[in-house]
Amino acid sequence: MDLVYILPMAASLIGALLCLVRIEKFEEIVSIIVSVCTSIFAVLILFSPNVSNYFLFLDGISKIMILTISIVYVMTVIFSTTFFKYIDEPLFQKRFYYLLLNLFAFSMFFSVSVNNFGLVWVGIEATTVTSALLVATENDESSIEATWRYIIIVSSGLVISFIANILIYSATGTLDISKLLSMNSFSALLPLGSMMALVGYGTKAGIFPMHTWLPDVHGKAPAPVSAIFSGVLLPVALYAMIRVIQFTPIEYVKTFALILGFLTVIIAASLMAVQTNYKRLFAYSTMENMGMALIGISLGGYALLGVIILILSHAFAKSSTFFLSGNLLSRYKTLKIDEVKGVAGRMPITAYTLLFSSMAITGMPPFGTFFGEIMIIFVLLSAVHIGWVLLLMAFLALAFISMNFKVGKMLFSDSEGDNMERKRVGTIIPVIDTILSLAIVFFIPLISKVIK
Amino acid sequence: MNDFFMLIGFSEILLVIFMQWEVYVAKIIKTFSISSYAVSVFLLYLSFVQHSYLVLILAILTAVIRGFFIPNFILKRLARDPWRERESKPIMGTASSIIISLVIAIFAYVLYEATMLNFIGVLSGAIPIALVFQGAFLVISRRNAFIQLVGYMVMENAAFLFTGYLFPDLPFSVEAGTVLDLIGVVMISGIIMRMRENSPKKSDDIDELRG
Repeated sequence: MDLVYILPMAASLIGALLCLVRIEKFEEIVSIIVSVCTSIFAVLILFSPNVSNYFLFLDGISKIMILTISIVYVMTVIFSTTFFKYIDEPLFQKRFYYLLLNLFAFSMFFSVSVNNFGLVWVGIEATTVTSALLVATENDESSIEATWRYIIIVSSGLVISFIANILIYSATGTLDISKLLSMNSFSALLPLGSMMALVGYGTKAGIFPMHTWLPDVHGKAPAPVSAIFSGVLLPVALYAMIRVIQFTPIEYVKTFALILGFLTVIIAASLMAVQTNYKRLFAYSTMENMGMALIGISLGGYALLGVIILILSHAFAKSSTFFLSGNLLSRYKTLKIDEVKGVAGRMPITAYTLLFSSMAITGMPPFGTFFGEIMIIFVLLSAVHIGWVLLLMAFLALAFISMNFKVGKMLFSDSEGDNMERKRVGTIIPVIDTILSLAIVFFIPLISKVIK
Repeated sequence: MNDFFMLIGFSEILLVIFMQWEVYVAKIIKTFSISSYAVSVFLLYLSFVQHSYLVLILAILTAVIRGFFIPNFILKRLARDPWRERESKPIMGTASSIIISLVIAIFAYVLYEATMLNFIGVLSGAIPIALVFQGAFLVISRRNAFIQLVGYMVMENAAFLFTGYLFPDLPFSVEAGTVLDLIGVVMISGIIMRMRENSPKKSDDIDELRG
């Protein structure tokens, strides 16, 4: 009966192994099939009862994480089939790219499904191992440098969360998530372990002050890799942070998370205002959204529903913006905002999709991110002084203006030249993603029911 | 038991301080190998004291993977003759890095005493904490990627020592998973480091990532 819960893991792992078969385009077909299968399994799991056994722990949050990962995984695989040909002298053959992509998806499914917090750590560290070479796919000096920064910073950060796991184990005598969540007594080491876990997993989630790898990697990785990183890898790390807050019923640990989230939003929004590279701009926007999500996680209750809606809607909208950044890069051959002009005239579908997805990632109504952020802010109003809420909203406004002004500049500035749009799958996938980030709004009652 | 842990722990700290003043990469890697063997000797001793075959397996895994396989793998990845590979321009000078190392050791002790000692109850628990900070310092004080990787592994070794001594009953699957992940990180890092030195395509925006 519990077999259905391991199907996403099994499918992605089988997909990875099949990529080793040397048949023309086989790896693409296999990857598309297994990723679509994982989405079907994710929907099945969503409507299956929660499970908690020796190996697995899947409640509403895990189920929605699996669904999010699987949908972004499908979109990334399909987009990659058109994008890969634009990479000159890639680091490896195409089948190794898909092998790593499938293993990467497997490690994310594993991280959000297991019932042991130590194994969650193993899974999240495995995402680093499986994804590092994907960042360096373009095989140039800067992407290799970005990959190295990613490995060393994230792995060092995860050592902190490993020590945190040891302290949590010492305080509670277990690392089983189901037992941790129902625990009433623990030693005073738990808050220290939990705060270290927030910092450690925060490294992977792009939380201040351990975020420095994030803009480099998102800026230098190929578009589909940036999309899956931003859309689901960071939320997988946030998933670990959600669990930490859930099993730590101590107010000052939550305040610590609130402060980290707050600082993350402030730093990210400030840096968005000075960006001249559009992929780095989108990367800082991801950081800003993760900061908002962490604020919601620290508040809990109704805000947690806001976090889940924010994560879901952001995953689709942000993967759309990164896919589109790949389309822009392949046509304009530059990452500089000032050098990309007149996109609306030359690539109209890309331009208007980018306009809407940029609005979505900055929390504009009627996209799901808006409702997610509103829920978080609503709960925040009752938790802190209104001055802090106004300050936060000022920085959200700064992020909104920076993003939409810079994107607007690229889209609507004057430029002469022929139409460069290619009506192909690489143009359609971002449109679907943007629509999904809007459609989330209609599923809020269902999401609320699943989480409860 | 505590005496043996103290002995191993202080040896580890001395070995890391040696790494701080060393500039030849191969010597640093070999020193790391020795420190990993020291951790495995401690785990071996622990397995006999506790009659635990899982700790014994962990000791063997530590010796084989951290002591032998990983250092040899990295040494083979050194682009030039290993004995010639040296870091000519570290971010921090040797003298200042040794002084900072000593300050870090004292800071770790004070931090441990203020935060964890009351709950753990073992004074020597400060040693692995000092080692984690030393490893982190090795990462940030050097430019050479191989030495940065060694710094990361020193942090991992410290965490292992911490677990082995204070919480030996931590689920084996978690510790074994950690070892497997470490192999993955080192192998991927090895590939990236080789690519770093032989990068075929130069990039105009590399400065964006440095500094």
